[in-house]
Amino acid sequence: MNISKQIAQWRIVAASVCGTSHLRNKQLCQDAHHWQILADNILVAAAADGAGSASLGKVGAMLAVETAIENLSSKGLTRSSLTNDANVRSLLNDALLAAKKAVEQEAVACEKQLADLATTLIIMVATPEVVAVAQIGDGLAVAKDRLGNLLAVTMPDSGEYINETTFLTSPTALDTAQMRLWRTDIVNVGIITDGLQMLALNMVVGEPHKPFFFPLFEFVANAEDKTAAKEQLVKFLRSERIAQRTDDDLTLIIAAFNNS
Amino acid sequence: MDFNITQKVMHDTLRLDEVVEFAENPEPRCPCVLLLDTSGSMQGDPIEALNQGLLSLKDELVKNPLAARRVEVAIVTFDSNINVVQDFVTADQFNPPILTAQGLTTMGAGIHKALDLIQERKSQYRTNGIAYYRPWVFMITDGEPQGELDHVVEQAAQRLQGDEASKRVAFFTVGVENANMTRLNQIAVRTPLKLKGLNFIEMFVWLSASMSAVSHSQVDEQVALPPIGWGTV
Repeated sequence: MNISKQIAQWRIVAASVCGTSHLRNKQLCQDAHHWQILADNILVAAAADGAGSASLGKVGAMLAVETAIENLSSKGLTRSSLTNDANVRSLLNDALLAAKKAVEQEAVACEKQLADLATTLIIMVATPEVVAVAQIGDGLAVAKDRLGNLLAVTMPDSGEYINETTFLTSPTALDTAQMRLWRTDIVNVGIITDGLQMLALNMVVGEPHKPFFFPLFEFVANAEDKTAAKEQLVKFLRSERIAQRTDDDLTLIIAAFNNS
Repeated sequence: MDFNITQKVMHDTLRLDEVVEFAENPEPRCPCVLLLDTSGSMQGDPIEALNQGLLSLKDELVKNPLAARRVEVAIVTFDSNINVVQDFVTADQFNPPILTAQGLTTMGAGIHKALDLIQERKSQYRTNGIAYYRPWVFMITDGEPQGELDHVVEQAAQRLQGDEASKRVAFFTVGVENANMTRLNQIAVRTPLKLKGLNFIEMFVWLSASMSAVSHSQVDEQVALPPIGWGTV
């Protein structure tokens, strides 16, 4: 019998780790993530993957996630303000624009080309009854509903070739952004960058892989000690089993809404 | 029993890398067509050196476990006929053939065949949910088009230039010994390289290193190819 009644709230664990190929070449981790739990059980989260070819990809990625989250956090969001689809879309669009602008300004300030700060960006707003995601480039966002369905909220947007994608800094970025919204009972949400795509996505059927996400969701739902949970997640991302399959930077954000 | 204690113990012993399962996806593929001149003028030392070079390509590719599974090699030869000597295989399955040389140099038809093979392969990748990198064609010749109608060559050159412009392929040309570099330059988009002597081994070691670099590359990386020691512009 569960006698320890929990307060309804989001639990979240997130980590970005450097890929083994970047470690070998003494490069920085080009991935970044950021999140906040706002009032009224609103979770905002973002992940970005700076382009390996961009000299300041890491800066672009960090700036993008921080600006996007700051922008969303400053809006005084309430769950009732998220009941209107058009509102949600314009919120996400604003956050994308703010992130793009911040990266552009940084490029000017550093006297660099915009492409030097190229990065992908995934932004999520989630409450127990809605999940909304804006995404430029690859990586993906998922959600699990109360019935145990795993929803592919967004899918990787890569070009014809696996080593091509769209970036926040591309001229067409905002036009090609994926904008997705689901209204259902949300229990879990997750975001990954492209480094985990081959492990977390079944490419043949084009669906997120349940046996990848579900144990992670269970893990975060039971994660009482935040520091220990983060350590475990980092350890997992650095494990030999993962290193055998991918040498790219990895970001994983997983969250659970505990309402028991 | 105190529920919280039980849960805490479970949590500590739960190891994520033991419970999280990975999707089993096919490896992404990095296709490369070797388009090889086996006309009469290649007889003797050139064809022998080329055969040795193919062996070293295989040896080098399998040294790199990821490249061995991702790089796919196909071989098309052109002389008086066009032959697909080797359809696409991953490097670990690749058994280099022993080529012989005779006849004319139907390069235009060879280029068409190489581009056809790539188009077909891409469609197979897509059907099977296999991600892929931009295909390469690596053409090696010691001459110039000969034994086919001008318009066949012209058409092949136009198709190749269109495919290169739309990033459907990256087409590299290597001239050997008395190759007509001026003519090759008219056909290809990328400047043809002149092989130093019959240094095929060094060239294929470079090709292997380049394909390995590409097959490891991440999203939108401009892959820096290793410096070319085996040829000149």
